Amino acid sequence: MMENREDLELNERLQLIESMIAEGRRSTEKWAWTFVLWGVAYYVAIAWSAWGGATLAWPVTMTAAGVLTGVVGGRVRGKRPETTAGRAIGSVWIAMGISLFTLLMSLSLSGRYDLHVFVAIIGAMLGMANGISSMILRWKMQFACAGVWLATAVAACFTTDSQISVIFLAAIFFCQIVFGIYGMIAESRRHTRSAAHA
Amino acid sequence: MPELPELNPVIHGKLRLALLSLLVGVEEAEFTWLRAKTGSTDGNLGAQLAKLEEAGYVAVEKKFVQRKPQTLYRMTEAGRLALTEYVQALKQLLGGAIGG
Repeated sequence: MMENREDLELNERLQLIESMIAEGRRSTEKWAWTFVLWGVAYYVAIAWSAWGGATLAWPVTMTAAGVLTGVVGGRVRGKRPETTAGRAIGSVWIAMGISLFTLLMSLSLSGRYDLHVFVAIIGAMLGMANGISSMILRWKMQFACAGVWLATAVAACFTTDSQISVIFLAAIFFCQIVFGIYGMIAESRRHTRSAAHA
Repeated sequence: MPELPELNPVIHGKLRLALLSLLVGVEEAEFTWLRAKTGSTDGNLGAQLAKLEEAGYVAVEKKFVQRKPQTLYRMTEAGRLALTEYVQALKQLLGGAIGG
């Protein structure tokens, strides 16, 4: 009888360790909103350049989105503990963002702007970043987004201007807006569960 | 019959065990985050963290962020090792009990 009680207590300890480790890992940063923000930023830049502001549209919109991500992200992050996985994923996205910004800005300023090259670069870079994130997080939905971006990059090499424009707009809608909203809902549900647990 | 291991008394306390298990998954954590995750009071949490710090299992860093004081806790290598040994001992004890 006594031994059974002790075993129960030891089992409780083991379960406590498992649940707390899971709890710590679950509290990663909330970043789904950035997908929506960047999706909207892409649409703003596309619309702006279509209405005649081709030179300024992309650099200005991307810089504004970058600053907004940095400011809001800094505030959100300050309240959460840093995890190794979170830092790894963050590093991939920051490096991708800097590379993409530098390359596209240079192409734009040099006048060697081509819609197909532009979409191919964005598709390949976003495919890579989403692919790495999804493999670290083991998130099938994000892996599907990586596939869509890669397919968009490939399509950019073989399609006409109008076709690739439609494909690019659709990829932004599904992989940024829809995926971002889905991620925000998932994070909010996780947060509610976590609060109930504590 | 093989001798059963003893459980580390510093780690065995429920709140201290919860704290170490939380800290093992993150690089560092704020006092307020640990309080929210464990649902403990400021006084109890502070006392248990002080015991873990005294044992060398957690390291504390106090700083100011935007003029507000922030206390950060991180697990030390000794803490990581002690928790690993504790889990192994726990499994051995439970295994021994199952084996009769």
